[in-house]
Amino acid sequence: MMRMRTTWLLIAASFLGFSTLLKAQAADDSQITVYNPRGIPPAIELIPMANRLESLDGKTIYFVDDGFLGGDILLDEMIQWFARNRPEVKTVFRKKGGMGFAAEDPELWAEMKEKADGMVMATGH
Amino acid sequence: MPIVTEVFEVLAKTNAAKRGMPYQRTTFVPHPVWGRSAEQLRENIEGSSPVSGNPIMEEIIQGLTRPLNAEEQKSGLVEVSAESSIIGPDSEDNLIQYFHDDGMTDYLPFVLPTKERVEAMLKGTSHKRDEIVGKMSPAADAYEPWTFTVEQVAVNAVMAGAKPEYFPVILAIASSGISSMHSSTNSFVQSLVINGPVRKEIGMNYGIGAMGPFSHANATIGRAYTLLSKNLGHGQIPGETYLGALGNAMTYANIVIAENEEENPWAPFHVEKGFKAEDSTVSFFMGYGISSGQGTVAGATQNDPKFDREFKNLFDTVGTLFGAFVVLDPTVAKNIYEHGYDTKQKLIDFVFKPAEGQKPHFRSADSISFVVTGGQTNLYYHYGSMRYMRTISIDEWR
Repeated sequence: MMRMRTTWLLIAASFLGFSTLLKAQAADDSQITVYNPRGIPPAIELIPMANRLESLDGKTIYFVDDGFLGGDILLDEMIQWFARNRPEVKTVFRKKGGMGFAAEDPELWAEMKEKADGMVMATGH
Repeated sequence: MPIVTEVFEVLAKTNAAKRGMPYQRTTFVPHPVWGRSAEQLRENIEGSSPVSGNPIMEEIIQGLTRPLNAEEQKSGLVEVSAESSIIGPDSEDNLIQYFHDDGMTDYLPFVLPTKERVEAMLKGTSHKRDEIVGKMSPAADAYEPWTFTVEQVAVNAVMAGAKPEYFPVILAIASSGISSMHSSTNSFVQSLVINGPVRKEIGMNYGIGAMGPFSHANATIGRAYTLLSKNLGHGQIPGETYLGALGNAMTYANIVIAENEEENPWAPFHVEKGFKAEDSTVSFFMGYGISSGQGTVAGATQNDPKFDREFKNLFDTVGTLFGAFVVLDPTVAKNIYEHGYDTKQKLIDFVFKPAEGQKPHFRSADSISFVVTGGQTNLYYHYGSMRYMRTISIDEWR
């Protein structure tokens, strides 16, 4: 009687184990891999920052408007602030040329290379 | 020293870093600048930066004069580690959620790009899977473009639900490098005009409801354009690579137009651009989108409509940045043709020509484009402020 009960217990345990195995297998089958839809970003070339000025005294700072609406008024207020608070700094206002905010303006870049000690550009909007 | 408004902090910092200047000194000022009076802006600059908390003018002076540290002087090439080309293994539900959470979808149900599905899509072209198709960024010159292969375009085509026979069209679109997810605060939208035999071959709709959800090809090609612009062109991050203030509902599947060449009384659009009638092409338009001409005060109401004069009146209200893009039902095109405009150029010249003593409204006659599609159920047309960009071959991607 005892042996018969043990046998049934073993059969039941085996069945349960097999069932668990089947369930695990089914879980693995439901796991899938897919392709990543993203593109390939470029490598980044680090650009060292331009050397800074020791002081703004007697220096010429260009204030360049890139064309976003209101940027000219903002820069004019900054120029007036310098006139009130740091009159020893010479300020120059320029509007960047070219079609669009990101367009190059080689003439202005050349002018600033020759005449400017520093530049403030607005507006990143 | 760049001056940037506070809402663009993330964009300014991440974009500077991606362009090799991770330590760029930027001063952030209160947003917006546009629409503020001189007094308000003066008050702003005399206050503190909303980002750093430092006095704005002092921060600008410091930015120009504080000596550079070692990090700011670094140069050299930094390789950006590419993401794995495979995602998973995981359950279908988890992968779908992952794609949505990572911003790689349009948040509508999509098809997971399994190996089998991508392989099937690749059979739609003779091009090799690892061939570089092109580069794309959310705004030319503002972001470094991302590169992508035929296989990566196929992945996005699968996600959109496209069939392999549409794949040459989608590859041609991708090869243009023109993103449909412009970073601009304007929430711009793209239109695609498809011409040539491919329209029939893949079952595009250019009859009744041509621009509506009535064709698998029209719908999934347009959707693929959005998905590939987000995923291959890096246009998927609001606040960083997408800044559209309101967004644009037309960017879900873009404005896809298969021209009704059979009912068009003039030459097909791609023939005007120098292609042969038997060529299959896609033409790109960019701008603010389109709406019905019937919803304007210029709309024709008389029994004998004078569409030429109607367009002239209507275009005076269209911005000059992009010009005018008009989509005519064939009934309208035929009516105009019967009124003496046997070429489209004659119509464009009439509409462009200013009244005596006045300047033209648009910069050039090239600012005006007409295409023809629709099912001829009434004399209607759509129009909007959109600019023609260019036409490229689909056949080269078969």
